[in-house]
Amino acid sequence: MKLKDKYRFIRQNIKKNKARTFMTILATAMGCAFLIVLASIGYGLQQSVVKETLEDQVVTEIQVHGKEVENGFEAMTVADIEKLEKVDHVKAVTRKIQLGQLPTYTIDGYKAETMAVSTHFPSEIASGLKLAEGRLPENPNEVVVGYHFSNTLYMETDEDIYDAETGEVKEEFQFKGEVKDQTITMTVQQDEEGKVTKEIPLKIVGVLEEPGREWMLNQDVYISQEVFHQIEAFTGTAGGEIVVDPENKVTGHLETFDQVNVYAESLESVQGIVDTLDEENYATYSIVSEMKQINTLFTIAKAGLILVGTIALIIASIGIYNTMTMAVTERAPDIGIMKAIGANPKTIKQIFLLESSYIGVIGAIIGTIVAYATSVVVNIGLPLILETAFDEEMPEGLQFSAIPWSLVLIAVTICLVITILSGMRPAKRATQIDVLKAMRREI
Amino acid sequence: MIQIRELSHHFKLGKKDQKVILPVLKDITMEVGKGEIVSVVGKSGSGKSTLLNLISGFIRPTEGDIWIDGVQVSELSEAKFADFRLKHIGFIFQSFQLIPSMTAYQNIELPLILKGEDEKKRQEKVIRLMEKVGLGDFKDHYPSELSGGQQQRVSIARALVLEPTLILADEPTGSLDSETEAEILEIIQKLNRELGITFLIITHDEEVAQTGHRTISIKDGRVMKGGAAI
Repeated sequence: MKLKDKYRFIRQNIKKNKARTFMTILATAMGCAFLIVLASIGYGLQQSVVKETLEDQVVTEIQVHGKEVENGFEAMTVADIEKLEKVDHVKAVTRKIQLGQLPTYTIDGYKAETMAVSTHFPSEIASGLKLAEGRLPENPNEVVVGYHFSNTLYMETDEDIYDAETGEVKEEFQFKGEVKDQTITMTVQQDEEGKVTKEIPLKIVGVLEEPGREWMLNQDVYISQEVFHQIEAFTGTAGGEIVVDPENKVTGHLETFDQVNVYAESLESVQGIVDTLDEENYATYSIVSEMKQINTLFTIAKAGLILVGTIALIIASIGIYNTMTMAVTERAPDIGIMKAIGANPKTIKQIFLLESSYIGVIGAIIGTIVAYATSVVVNIGLPLILETAFDEEMPEGLQFSAIPWSLVLIAVTICLVITILSGMRPAKRATQIDVLKAMRREI
Repeated sequence: MIQIRELSHHFKLGKKDQKVILPVLKDITMEVGKGEIVSVVGKSGSGKSTLLNLISGFIRPTEGDIWIDGVQVSELSEAKFADFRLKHIGFIFQSFQLIPSMTAYQNIELPLILKGEDEKKRQEKVIRLMEKVGLGDFKDHYPSELSGGQQQRVSIARALVLEPTLILADEPTGSLDSETEAEILEIIQKLNRELGITFLIITHDEEVAQTGHRTISIKDGRVMKGGAAI
């Protein structure tokens, strides 16, 4: 018997019991939609979390926080940097040392207090650091500043420069001009009271590009290693720290780095580098490792949600079993006649299994459409409801529900397997129908 | 065409631990030759319908062998017997056994569908047969819209559609009036004459039995006369 004819049979049979078949399809569709919508919450939240996390950080960046030794952690040294640079697929290793005190900067009657950082510019450029304007320093007294440095400058005056409401510097006291090509005076102090100070003139030759995220601020001043050493020599302390206890001060040059970042050539090579560094006992953090943990967590959550959703489909399968059992009982005389004239038991079984899978397929299609519609409504409606109920603004781009093709495929497969399984017993019963009893209408 | 050797059959009646064995057929040996019309006659309860059901494969014999067209059908599995029935045997039943939800056309088409024939070939064959049995104008009629004689013609057309070599008929005129009975018997004789189809007719009606070339008489589950082929 051809497949086309089997389907013709099924359509004829379904037509006979439209209402009952419709209700069974409806139950299957509801079960399928419930499964997809439930699991889509897991997929949606995962997407939102991953997106949020990736937006905050450079994906090829690996932060190295030191080296694990017997008694704790050791800070990163020049030898460590050289070692890291030799690891396969490493594009650049950036290293920064923060000045041990907060210097002040003055420029044309304006003043700022912000962090000074000594960095290795060639590796910064190799890692992808870009300037918004100007160029990189070429001699020791040249510096580049962070994109928001100019915002920290305020007019030196006896008046109250802060706005009482916002707490920010009033507009009339803010620095308005360009900082590039300006010469600023950096003042560092030796002691806590600021009795002995040193002024170092520095020329701003470049401004760094704006950070990727709106809320990120970069107000730092990037000084040369020579200037850093000058300050260390002036304070007589490693890292240019202010002398608090002259008896116990650490002298000399600071030989370790505060912040070391390794940049991989590609996203795919990040995990390999992390594994290599872990083997060498370096304490690392990378977004890829975090992603791995996030994804593992969400995979478990999604599996749980799919399992709960499957229960709804199993309940729907009871309806299919019932419908198919009734269909077999009602059609027993017809089955008897078909068997008598030569229908193979396998053909009879296939017809009933096809009928239950037909219900499953139609149910899955309707369920998927309903799930997509529900997902759209949830994504639009739920933030509005939550915002109204809790008076709290939801993060921009937050997605509660997402339905990828893989989820549809999983749901449809589960739906089909369950519907076919629930049709197995009735189909087998159909093949076991006694021809003589069926023809005598005794079933 | 049909050879039956030492065929016996009994039914088990009652509950599991109190079963009563009821012998129906005892040591039947008979033959039906190719192109014969053989009538099996006997009183009600003589075992003639059981004999037909055993030959059809609807029930399995307790003892003995049945051969049809050189195939030992009593040894075939249920699925293989079904395939054999479809290809070699046509059936005419007393109560017609038409599927009520199908039209006359669809009922006749059913064996062709089960065999997997193309729709175009099916259409040709069914239309031709409907014309032949005088049902050309009743293509879209459901069994409930046809008379007894017309329903039996549909049943005959369904039995003929796969061009079987053997047709088993169980009281083919049992539900018909005498005029229609004569028409149906004439069709059977014509098919035998023109197409050489072998007929085994189960009947209790002497008049119907005389339509055949030979009569086998069964009494109390035993062949009383006419078991051997001509």
